[in-house]
Amino acid sequence: MGEERVKARALENRPGWIASINPWVLKIKNNPERVAFVLHRVTGVLMALIIMAHIFVTGTPARVGWEAWVEEISKAHGITAVTLYFFFFAGIAWFHGLNGIRLILTEFFGVCIGKPEKPKPPYLAPSLKACQRRLLYLVFALWAVLWVLTGYIVFG
Amino acid sequence: MPRKSVIQTWFQYVTGILLIFLLTWHLLVRVPWLRGVESFADTLAPELVYHEITAYGVLLLIFAYAALLHGFNGLKNVLLEWTSGRYKGLITAIIVILFFIFAGLATYTVVGVKPLG
Amino acid sequence: MTFDPKAATKEPPKKVVFRVKRYNPETGKTWWDEYEVETYRGMTVLDALLKIKEELDHTLVLRYSCRMGVCGSCGMIINGMPRLACQTQVAEVASEARPVVTVEPLKNHPVVRDLLTDFTAFFDKHRSVKPYTIRKNKEELETGDMEFLMTPEEHSELYEYTLCIACGLCYSACPVAASDERFLGPQALTYVWRYVADPRDEAWQERLEAVDTEEGPFSCHFAASCSAVCPKMVDPAAAIQRLRSALIKYRMGLYKKKKIARKAEPPKEFKERKPLPPEAKLVEGADLEALEKEPPEIPVDSLLS
Repeated sequence: MGEERVKARALENRPGWIASINPWVLKIKNNPERVAFVLHRVTGVLMALIIMAHIFVTGTPARVGWEAWVEEISKAHGITAVTLYFFFFAGIAWFHGLNGIRLILTEFFGVCIGKPEKPKPPYLAPSLKACQRRLLYLVFALWAVLWVLTGYIVFG
Repeated sequence: MPRKSVIQTWFQYVTGILLIFLLTWHLLVRVPWLRGVESFADTLAPELVYHEITAYGVLLLIFAYAALLHGFNGLKNVLLEWTSGRYKGLITAIIVILFFIFAGLATYTVVGVKPLG
Repeated sequence: MTFDPKAATKEPPKKVVFRVKRYNPETGKTWWDEYEVETYRGMTVLDALLKIKEELDHTLVLRYSCRMGVCGSCGMIINGMPRLACQTQVAEVASEARPVVTVEPLKNHPVVRDLLTDFTAFFDKHRSVKPYTIRKNKEELETGDMEFLMTPEEHSELYEYTLCIACGLCYSACPVAASDERFLGPQALTYVWRYVADPRDEAWQERLEAVDTEEGPFSCHFAASCSAVCPKMVDPAAAIQRLRSALIKYRMGLYKKKKIARKAEPPKEFKERKPLPPEAKLVEGADLEALEKEPPEIPVDSLLS
């Protein structure tokens, strides 16, 4: 009697949600848009969660009263949990907003993605050298500048 | 069920365009030298915040609703993507309930604000 | 994918270690194997893998066919990036400082064995978008007694997208397809836009409405990895953004499809075929064997300029 044949099964090879938080699941060259995608998603999910806390906290004058509000804002001096919360919330909002402008231009209006062209060396896709790429670098630069400025205002 | 393009146009892109302006305004009102005060903490003083809520209440509410629509619709899309569309009903129900809870809370913040003592 | 035309003229390290990810579908085991391969100038990763299969390990499984970047069979992840093995020079991915090349099967496609992936779901999605010209009058296509004229501008709008070889690299690189198995993927959506943009196609409304779902262009988030890995410069990322934007405009009643301007009648008489010009023939007295032994230096710079 021969050996019983083992049933072969294919291996599911999807990285899953980890690809949404790690841009280096694949080491793709010349692809800062992927880093922006991950940052946009991470900042977006964080903001959706923080916004609930934000609405709850800013409702203090209506829910509890102004005394509680005054007590709350008395902690907004120097480096405290309140100022750190503002600093990080504003920081992630800056990136999500700035990159959002770029995405509205490319995704909604379909502009800044270059014109289709005939392939020629070095075979770089038009969308990777279109103005969205320059906008992306501008987003990263402005994000850094505005976040530093936010820190200066909040902790200053 | 509305079409995906209609949902995305209104909940993601139109709110997104609105939020660019409203978020800029919302962040700028916390800049001390634009409000004529000394520090960031001073921009949160009850007098300034009360004036903001009463004078720009409608704008604040539009901002809150737009941010909640944009944020929760985005969160729903991410969760559906991560689960390949499984539990679609459950995820949508949780998101809709959360939206109404926090939209109600935001409305109460503006409508129910107590006058300064 | 940026392509270095000088890569084939570079000398790779004399010996390169290939780390290959293996999978046995019967035991369900995954492991890495290492093979040391002697290289030569112009050796591609596919050449190296076939050398491993012939000389070192006959059990290594991979798929390939044309060996010249046309069939799209030998897609695999080389040093972390989806590439065609036949189009990737060993000299491009291995250096004297790091003479190691890692080879894995494409992600987002089920692995049948070792480097061989199953494209069934991928091709099902491709088929689902009806990747062919649809005319209201079917006879026009069947009788073939006329041709549809396009202006060069109209042609250049879609020519880029017609170059797709369905190699699956874009689908493998896509971070959305990595988690959402419903997503049609860059390749299928590029085909939708290729036919929507084609002035000869008359089913553009049906095509736009068919992709107005969660599986369609709205699941794309413009990570542009598809365009960064495409070996044919198809630019799926731009195609999907154009498709999404067109779909939004269509729903607002603002999208106007370019219609075919003219139909040409077939030629009434065929001209005689001209003989080949003298420069098309093999140079007299050329010694093919000598040329094979000592290949002439390729004047890459002058060819490119």
